[in-house]
Amino acid sequence: MNEFKANNKIKVLIVDDEKNLGIGIKRLLEKEGYEVQLAVNGTEGIQLGTNEEFDLAIIDLKMPDIDGIIVLEKILKKYPNTICFIATAFASYETAIESTKKGAYGYILKPFLPDELLYQLKKGYEKRFLLMEAERWEKEREERLLEIAFEKTRVLTIINSITDGVLVVNKIGEVVLFNPAALKYLEIEELKIGDQIIEKLHPQISDLIDKLLNNDSFVTKTYSAQVELKPGYDFFIEATSSGVFHPDGSLAGVVVVLKDITNLKKLEFLKSQFVSMVSHELKAPISAVYGYLKLFNDNSVAVSDEQKKNFINRSQLRLDGLIKMVNDLLDISRMEMKSIKREISDIDLRDVINNIIELFQADLKRKNITVDFNSIPDSPFIKADFEEMNRLFTNLISNAIKYNRHNGCITVIINSTEVYLVVEIKDSGIGLKPEEKKKLFHEFFRAKNEFTKDISGTGLGLSIVKRIVDSYSGRIEVGSEFNKGTTFKVYLPFLYKEIQK
Amino acid sequence: MKKKKILLVDDDIDLLEQSKISFESKGYTVATAENVDEGWQIFQKEKPDAVVIDLIMEEHDSGFILSYKIKKDDYGKNIPVYILTSATYLTGYKFGVSTEEEKEWIYCDEIINKPVVTEDLIEKIENYYLKKENFHR
Repeated sequence: MNEFKANNKIKVLIVDDEKNLGIGIKRLLEKEGYEVQLAVNGTEGIQLGTNEEFDLAIIDLKMPDIDGIIVLEKILKKYPNTICFIATAFASYETAIESTKKGAYGYILKPFLPDELLYQLKKGYEKRFLLMEAERWEKEREERLLEIAFEKTRVLTIINSITDGVLVVNKIGEVVLFNPAALKYLEIEELKIGDQIIEKLHPQISDLIDKLLNNDSFVTKTYSAQVELKPGYDFFIEATSSGVFHPDGSLAGVVVVLKDITNLKKLEFLKSQFVSMVSHELKAPISAVYGYLKLFNDNSVAVSDEQKKNFINRSQLRLDGLIKMVNDLLDISRMEMKSIKREISDIDLRDVINNIIELFQADLKRKNITVDFNSIPDSPFIKADFEEMNRLFTNLISNAIKYNRHNGCITVIINSTEVYLVVEIKDSGIGLKPEEKKKLFHEFFRAKNEFTKDISGTGLGLSIVKRIVDSYSGRIEVGSEFNKGTTFKVYLPFLYKEIQK
Repeated sequence: MKKKKILLVDDDIDLLEQSKISFESKGYTVATAENVDEGWQIFQKEKPDAVVIDLIMEEHDSGFILSYKIKKDDYGKNIPVYILTSATYLTGYKFGVSTEEEKEWIYCDEIINKPVVTEDLIEKIENYYLKKENFHR
C-alpha cells in the first residue's frame, strides 16, 4: 500500500460483538493484505488494543459489556497513534461528535460497504503514516538538540583544558566565556559570566579589547601585546585580541588569547646579552689595532723603531685572537644548528683522543710536556656525534697544554661507571683561583693573573665544552689548585637518546 | 711647571700602552694599572694628579668602584677622576654625572664616551687645575 509498511503487513484490530460480522470483515481485509485480529467484546478489545500497537482499529460503538467510546479511550491512551474508527448502525450526529472528540479518526456506518470500508482504512492509514513520520522527526530533533548540548559541553571542556588563556567579552565588556588559564594569566581570583571585566584587566590588555570595541565596522584585524606581569623576566604573556562577528558582519564581541611567553623572553634576553657581549669582545682587539695604527701615523708622538716593532707584533697578536674568536663564534653557531641534526655513531674515544694528541705534537714538544694516556675499559665506545666529541676534547687538551708549564705533564684517563663514560684530563699547569673557578664556563671569561698574561684565548673554549656536555645530558667537574694544576672530569652517558629540539 | 702625573687604569694592555705613549708625548708622567686592586695600590703609592679609568674591567662596574674609592679618599677628592666607557653604545644605557641623582651614586668628575682623544682629556685636566688656581687666588 505504501512504503511505510513495505515488509510488514498493516495490523488492524476489530472489536465487535457480532462475531459473524467481525469474521466477515477479517476475511475481506486479509484478502487485501491486512493482518487482522478480532475481539468479540469491549474487554477483549481493550486487552488486545493495549497489549500491542495496532495501526488501525475498528471499534463497535454498542457492545454489551463496555461502551466502544471507553475502548477507544483506553487504546488511545496507550497508543495515541493508533487510528481508530467507530462503527455503528445507529448513526447520530451527537455520537459522531463525541467519538471524534475522544480521538476517533472516523466514523463507519454499519453494515459496511466493502469499498467504503477499504477507502476509509486507506485514508486512516495515510493519517497514521503522517503521525508516525511527525513523531520520528520530533524524536530526531530532540536527539539533535541533545547532540548540540553535548557538543557545547565538549567544546567547553576543550577550552578549559588548553594551556593558553581564553577570554571572550561581549560588546559592552561583559565576560561571555573564559577558561581557568585566563584567570591565572589575568591574575584574577574569581570571575563570573556577565561580570564587567575591562577595568580589572592590565591596561595593556584592556587596551587591546577597547581598540576592537570602539571600532564598530567589520575589522578583521588582530591586535597583540607582550605584557610583563612580573618584572625581571619572571612572567611574560602575549595577549592577542580579535573580533567575534555576527553572521551579518556586525561586531558581537572580542576574544582574547593569552599565551605564556616567559621562556621565550628569557631566551631573547640571553641572546641579546650574548650579542652585546660578543660586540664588546670583537671591538676590543679592533680598537687596540686601530690605536697602534693611529700612533704610527701621529707625527706629534715620538716613537722609537723598537716601539714600532712592538706595535706591529701586538697588532698581529690581537688580530690573531680576533680570528680565533670569530672561528669559535662560528663553531658555536654551527653547534646550535647541529643540535637539530646530529650524526650519531659508535665512537671509540681512544681514537678521538689519540688523534688530538697527535695533532698537538708540535706544541707539546715546544713546551716539553709529556702525555700519559690510559683507557681502563677495553672498548670505550660511546654513541655520539664525532665532530662534537672531537671539538670537546680538542678544547680540553689544548687548554691543558696552553695553561701548562714547561716540562709539565698531562694525564688522560678514560674510566667508566654503570651509566657514564668518564674522561679525566689532568694538567700540571697554573691552576685556578677559587673565584676564577666559579666563572670558568661563562662566555668570554678568562682568568687574569700573573701567569695568564701571555696566553691568548677567546674565552669561548670552555663555554663550547660545557654546551656540548650539557647537550648530551652529561656533566663536567673541575678540580683545581692555584699554581698546581687543573683536572677536568667529563661524564658522558652511554645511553644518549637523541632528543629532537 | 712640574710635570703632572696621571694614573691610567685599563684591563686592555694595548690600549693602556697606547694612552701611556700618548700622554708621555704630551709631557705627562704616566703610571698604569690593569685592575681595581692594582689601581688602588698605585693610586696610594704614586698620588697622581689625575686618574683615567676604563669602566668595564673584571666586572661591568669596576670603574665605578675604583673611582668611588678614590673620590672618598682625602687626597683623591682633590684630583680629577674620569671614567671612560663604551657602555652607552653597547647597552643603550646612558651614564653621566650631570644630575643630582647620578652624583649621589657615581663619584667622578666626568664620564667620557670612547673613543677618547688624548688632547681632549689633557684639556679637561688642565682646565680643572686652572679653575682651582683661580678659586684659590
